[in-house]
Amino acid sequence: MSDEELAKDLGLLSAMTIGIGTMIGAGIFVLPGVAAQEAGPVVVASFVVGGVVAMINAFSVSELGTAMPKAGGGYYYINRSLGPLFGSIAGMGDWMGLAFASAFYCIGFGQYLTTLAPIPGLLFLSDIQVGALIAGIVFVGVNYAGAKETGGVQSVIVLVLLGILSIFAVFGWLSFDYATLTGSGGLTPMGYGAILPGTAVVFVSFLGYAKIATVAEELKNPGRNLPIAVIGSVAIVTVIYGILVTIMLGVVPWNDLSPNAPVAQVTEIAFPGGLTGLAVTIVTLAALLATASSANASILASARINFAMGRDGIVTDWLNDIHPSFATPYRSILVTGGVIIVFIAALGRDLEVLAKAASVLHLIVYALINVGLIVFREADVEEYDPDFTVPLYPVTPILGAVASLALVTFMDTIEIALSLAFVVTAVAWYLVYARRHTVYEGELGKFVTERSDEMPDIAVSAAETVAPDGGDYRVMVPLANPEHEEDLITLASAMAKANDGTLVATHIVTVPDQTSLSSARERADDIDTTSERLLERARENAETFGVPVETHTILSHRGFEQIFDAARTHDADQVVMGWGPDSHGSPGRAESAIDEMTGDLPCDFLVLRDRGLDTERILVPTAGGPDSDLSAEIATILRREFGSKVTLLYVADEGESAEGADFLAGWAGDHDLGDADLRVETGDVETAIESAADDATLVVIGASEQGLLQRLVRGSVVMDVVDDVDCSVILAQKRTERSLVERLFG
Amino acid sequence: MSDLLDRVVLPVAHDDDATATARALDGHEFGSALAVHVVEKAGGAPDKASVEQREEAAEEAFSVLRAYFDDEVDLETRILYGTDVADAIFEAADDYGASSIVITPRGGSRWIQLLTGDVALSLVTETDRPVVVLPDVEEETGGSDGE
Repeated sequence: MSDEELAKDLGLLSAMTIGIGTMIGAGIFVLPGVAAQEAGPVVVASFVVGGVVAMINAFSVSELGTAMPKAGGGYYYINRSLGPLFGSIAGMGDWMGLAFASAFYCIGFGQYLTTLAPIPGLLFLSDIQVGALIAGIVFVGVNYAGAKETGGVQSVIVLVLLGILSIFAVFGWLSFDYATLTGSGGLTPMGYGAILPGTAVVFVSFLGYAKIATVAEELKNPGRNLPIAVIGSVAIVTVIYGILVTIMLGVVPWNDLSPNAPVAQVTEIAFPGGLTGLAVTIVTLAALLATASSANASILASARINFAMGRDGIVTDWLNDIHPSFATPYRSILVTGGVIIVFIAALGRDLEVLAKAASVLHLIVYALINVGLIVFREADVEEYDPDFTVPLYPVTPILGAVASLALVTFMDTIEIALSLAFVVTAVAWYLVYARRHTVYEGELGKFVTERSDEMPDIAVSAAETVAPDGGDYRVMVPLANPEHEEDLITLASAMAKANDGTLVATHIVTVPDQTSLSSARERADDIDTTSERLLERARENAETFGVPVETHTILSHRGFEQIFDAARTHDADQVVMGWGPDSHGSPGRAESAIDEMTGDLPCDFLVLRDRGLDTERILVPTAGGPDSDLSAEIATILRREFGSKVTLLYVADEGESAEGADFLAGWAGDHDLGDADLRVETGDVETAIESAADDATLVVIGASEQGLLQRLVRGSVVMDVVDDVDCSVILAQKRTERSLVERLFG
Repeated sequence: MSDLLDRVVLPVAHDDDATATARALDGHEFGSALAVHVVEKAGGAPDKASVEQREEAAEEAFSVLRAYFDDEVDLETRILYGTDVADAIFEAADDYGASSIVITPRGGSRWIQLLTGDVALSLVTETDRPVVVLPDVEEETGGSDGE
């Protein structure tokens, strides 16, 4: 067998038993009593409605799962489609949803455990909570040490459970009495309006099919087995729930059905005299096994989600370290375990809160999954090629999203508030932490920003606001004129190399206003050839520096302004652009708009007035300030890369040369330029710079705080220096630092 | 160079394990080496950790070895998958035509060995080729000197 086949060892039966094994514990053993109090006998319909909602979502999960059989499931699809902001929400939702579900399963385990052996309550904890805590600690411990679960065990457990439930069903059916079912107030004692609130309670018993998708990477032939297992397991458990709950309610009247251990109660009545004791014990053991396997699968799945999030930089990879001896993701399991324990202790008195909070979070994720599916389809993503496609697109995913959110409205305030708290936490986490660490933008963000001219401004700015910063240092070089690009690329590559970053070569094609962008795109073949040639040359140049290169072509009506947009879109940390008679369209158009933009630089700007790039002797005039910090940095980078000789120039007021020399020496030391030649002049600043520049091959000037770029763009001649010196000039301006609030609402 | 260390298979479980193995091997002359990391499969149940996660951990361990031995050693690396770690290593050793399997046991209490199935013991008892057990240098001498 190939390694590939060995790594993928879950067959259809295994996959199916993951789904069924996770779901069946809750629906049969834990919830019927609680849910029956909510709706009466018609709670059977609540289960069926839950099954239908789950089924619609199962189609979407299947399509996405076959397109991307990756660890992480729902989180992964949403991050790829809707981007890391929603990815963070989905990851947090899935993770905490699983923790709530695990706490719920543990409580279910505790309920049956207390019928088997008396457990004392402790402090503020009920006996059931204590049982649940013991269970929770054991399950976490088992996953921490990774006790080896071999092939058949999982399937055997589920098959044994199904066998026990079949016997239970047969004996139950023999004691089934329709009069018992309708005895207390008919089938709908609370009216039909109770069905959906009932579904809200029982939906937790359908959380399991999506776990198959979290281990999709381990499935054999996922294109076939994943949809069958996901859809099949939902179909099977829905049928089982429908039949068994009906039987249970025909044996014990709904208002007498135990909220703690309903199956044991029904067994006691249904089984004939001599067998009762044994049957109850077996059923109770089955309940323990079922809830344990649900909890176990959930803890396992949450570690997968943590891993997928860590890989994308949404959470720290510290969480996903593998244990040296156990080969388990032990930190992730411990953290999840801690959360489960807290949930059991704090909320475990009310089973319904745990169940519904788990459902709300999962439903939010399902809604996002459906939206993500639509984005993948509509954005026409090339790599998106699912083996299974949902029937009746776009009806199914739209229905899935709507039904999921609609079901949330039947939950109580406390569960919704708890869930929203986690959503808000996820958003805050994204903005504070993940945005700086993740690099993947998501198809939605790309779709919007690539069509920034057609999209409403608010969508574009929203997409930019939440787009990831990435850990990577990105130097964007906008290329307009093929003739002068080489020097630009050289400079940009040096900057990228010094920062261990990536060079983003962007060809901005300015389309005349008269031509619409779409018709320009139709002529794209011409543009493509030019663009490709240009970008290919850029790539070759940059690769001589060993810098990774990314290339983009942008069609736009705007020349200069587009650079700012592109810098934001491509998360540039620095832009290296050319400036001269033949660069980037006509300045001076829409002056006020430019003013606004240049007053708000998205990243550091290096503007090269190119007269042949020669880095042998660099002159850096400085008066201190942040922009000269940048010019100092540029000088040190060029010195390191090209062995340049650096001269620093300070122009002092008349008679203050000594102070000037003092300042300059200190400044040079602070900026790692202590060995540079220091030159202090007095008199007119521009004249001094121009005469010093006679000896230099390159002048690097920090833009003044008043915004040198504005003046440059408007074509005014404030900076005569740029035009008057004979050598190349780099103008440097630092990005405008904006606070988080400004970035969000500014 | 002894024939025994002519073509060695180095099972590494983790980056710390790789460090210990590299350190232990450094004082000895050896020919070529195949470093392997076994991703233990459950064979029909979900694994303890994501396969990709294990593969990342394996690459980390391999990169420790690569960094340690530079280019002067003919070092291959391979990720193996199997339900039985020792069997997977034996199979790879066969494939490679290994002269021996080199392990550096790093202690661990009895119960950890019990829980992890004690791979080292299986390697020694079920083997069909020489298994060289090198002491973990740091733990033996407390120094960084590799001899």
